[in-house]
Amino acid sequence: MKIKQEVKGDVLIITLSGKVIGGPELVEVKDVFQKAVDKDRKKVLLDLGKVSWMDSSGLGVIVSGHTTLSRAGGALKILNATKKIQELFIITKLITIFETYTNEQEALNSYGD
Amino acid sequence: MRFPSDAAVLEPLQLIIEAIGRSAEVEEDELSSLSVAVVELVKNAMEHGNRNDPEKLVTVSFNIFSNRILFTIDDEGKWEPEKALGFNPGEGEELLSTRGRGVLIARNLAKWVEFGLTPEGKTRVTLIWPLT
Repeated sequence: MKIKQEVKGDVLIITLSGKVIGGPELVEVKDVFQKAVDKDRKKVLLDLGKVSWMDSSGLGVIVSGHTTLSRAGGALKILNATKKIQELFIITKLITIFETYTNEQEALNSYGD
Repeated sequence: MRFPSDAAVLEPLQLIIEAIGRSAEVEEDELSSLSVAVVELVKNAMEHGNRNDPEKLVTVSFNIFSNRILFTIDDEGKWEPEKALGFNPGEGEELLSTRGRGVLIARNLAKWVEFGLTPEGKTRVTLIWPLT
């Protein structure tokens, strides 16, 4: 799994790619969310379009990021969830918690000022 | 297949499960769902059955029939998912739990997931994946 970060306006875009299968690398993702809050970046967009495989471990980290950002007054939104990842969000009802987008600009606009 | 309770085996295992699915002519689009379901149950076996002790083993067996693949996942402990988790992930306040969704996902992706015991009294999970 690879993690890429990019700032557009006041939104931090985190792009995950490859397999999100568990182990120590997921701690790294958790840390990215915490460091974003530490740097006062509370609007975070998580791009999952390049994730080839994910299970409940990945969902756990995403929920953790949501909690971290929400408590800081921010928001974590999801971009480009694949059909398989969307299925996991539906099974676990996390679809009711997260705003999901397929268009980056639309997602960025959704944060408002 | 028999392997230690070590997260390092999960990625090779995922590839093996998908190869098994491919050999049974599971549709390409469904292979990752199959591997997610099995890997989720193996992770639970490692965590709840074997307490993540790398000395303790998980055994995955499979049989391919004309209309289904039958997987069994054995660990060295004795546990039941509802008691082990202590909550119902995906409901109410537990919706935002950071863990506990593996069995829920496996049960939804596979046709049949059942928890039982081996003849030796250890936990055995049976997963049936239908073939169309």
